[in-house]
Amino acid sequence: MHIHLHSFIIHYSRFIGSTRILGMLLLMLVFSLFQLVAAKPASAMLTAKANHDHITIDFFYHGGTVSIRGESDPNVDLVIKITSPEGHQVLKQKGKVGGMLWMNVGQLKFENTPNFYEVFSTKKIDAILSRDEMEKYTIGYTALQKHVEVTPVANEEEKAKWFSEFVRFKENSKVYATSFGKIETTMNKDGRQDYYILTDWPYQAQPGDYLVSVYAVKNGKVVEQAEAKVNVEQVGMVKALATMAKNNAAFYGILSIGVALGAGFGVSLVFRKGGGAH
Amino acid sequence: MYLYLPVALTSINILVPVGLGLAVGLLSGLFGVGGGFLMTPLLIMFGIPSTVAAATDSNQIVAASTSGTYAHWKVGNVDFKMGLYLLAGGSLGGVVGVQGIKLLHAMGNADFVIKMTYVLMLGIVGVYMFIESLQSMKKNKNAVVEEAKTEKESAMGRFLKSLPLQARFEKSGITHSVFVPIVLGAFVGILAAIMGVGGGFLMVPIMVYMLRMPMHVVVGTSLFQILFTCIEVTFLQAYTNHSVDFILAVLLLLGSTVGAQVGAVFGRKLKAEQLKILLAGIVLAVTVKIIFELTLTPALLLSQAGGH
Repeated sequence: MHIHLHSFIIHYSRFIGSTRILGMLLLMLVFSLFQLVAAKPASAMLTAKANHDHITIDFFYHGGTVSIRGESDPNVDLVIKITSPEGHQVLKQKGKVGGMLWMNVGQLKFENTPNFYEVFSTKKIDAILSRDEMEKYTIGYTALQKHVEVTPVANEEEKAKWFSEFVRFKENSKVYATSFGKIETTMNKDGRQDYYILTDWPYQAQPGDYLVSVYAVKNGKVVEQAEAKVNVEQVGMVKALATMAKNNAAFYGILSIGVALGAGFGVSLVFRKGGGAH
Repeated sequence: MYLYLPVALTSINILVPVGLGLAVGLLSGLFGVGGGFLMTPLLIMFGIPSTVAAATDSNQIVAASTSGTYAHWKVGNVDFKMGLYLLAGGSLGGVVGVQGIKLLHAMGNADFVIKMTYVLMLGIVGVYMFIESLQSMKKNKNAVVEEAKTEKESAMGRFLKSLPLQARFEKSGITHSVFVPIVLGAFVGILAAIMGVGGGFLMVPIMVYMLRMPMHVVVGTSLFQILFTCIEVTFLQAYTNHSVDFILAVLLLLGSTVGAQVGAVFGRKLKAEQLKILLAGIVLAVTVKIIFELTLTPALLLSQAGGH
């Protein structure tokens, strides 16, 4: 009896245990389903698509436009960042020699810097993102300055000075830019937010892969992120010449000289026939 | 219309290089200079990276100076013998100059040395030529030139005549040791490579005042010499630095080859003193421009580093 009772208790407890586990599993399932339903819009909400995402450089290339569009939750701000892969850049540094003559005094190395960096936002970045978030996602020049290493500089103050010169240099070459208010947003019929931006693509941007990162921002934080890619590639004769200049340098040099000599003689003959030299 | 430049990695309105080529080619045909001291900074101003600007300019000078040499040769204004000796020196100088650039950059004060040499050379040459040709123009030209010649020759000439291997240069009507044009050619060749200029603005006064050649023969011979120096510099730049932009060179030479022909025709209508004073004026204007650049605060304190 005692054994039976014991066995019953064990069975009962097992039954109770299984029911509990089952219940818990059921609860978890319902909860996850609920979460899925509730979270689905959040995880698949932000979309990003870059049109003209394959830019080809031929002889008549003079830059172009890139448009980025997508859908987001309503009531979020948006930040769009377009960057090239990070690398290091060496630039000549001008300074005063002898207190009066401006000339190149050395070189500065900028590590972890993209050659191309553009940030667009619906509102001023400082107003919609906390400093920590800006740094976390390297959004804005202040965050980029923290991310970049500049050598040789004596202190943070000097770094800030040369980084700001770096930004001016890059902005002058049209490969760095930040602006707000250019992203158009409209509410669609599903009650969601459509966004769209059309931006000039500068011809100074070198061939390569570019990453478009779109951030949905709420309460000073990035709540969602989506990505798209833009590829810039030389094609045809432009590519052939650029490749030849690097890989077949001797032949390229001889070809350049040959064409110059030919042109010089050619024009001379034309002038002689035309009687221009007399 | 815009064209994309595969090595400079930028796009340019074709009227810019063709127009620049025409203007600088005109000066080339007129004065026997390559015009690099004008062209290279102008190209940089239009967004071409400095290394590409200098190397590509050498390439287009090949075309302009071929055109100019041909135009001057037809009227017998090229002293090939003198040109070949200058060329021998120039080739040597080109090789030394390319190595010199590397050494100067390694030492870290390249820009200071280059800029100061440039300003001093341009300044001295410009002022000297300007004063000399002004004096010649004021007075009875023939008498003064002859007088000046004999006067200067007595000082400098004695040393030059004491050198071995004296040779007669029929076309120029002068006698010199072959070492004189070789050494002077080497000097200009070094500067051509370092500064990305043809060196004509130095070569012309050197031929006029040190070699005592007639001005019109100087122009033709200088172009002949520059042609070969620039062939060498173009090859070395293309081979070692990959910095020659073929398309940009073609656009430039479209203008410069025509400009050189027009310049050569026009130059024959001008007197030697008029040519010299005009060249002196341009050299002085460039000197003043460089002095301004050195003293005024630049718009940007960073610029593209050379090489890769």
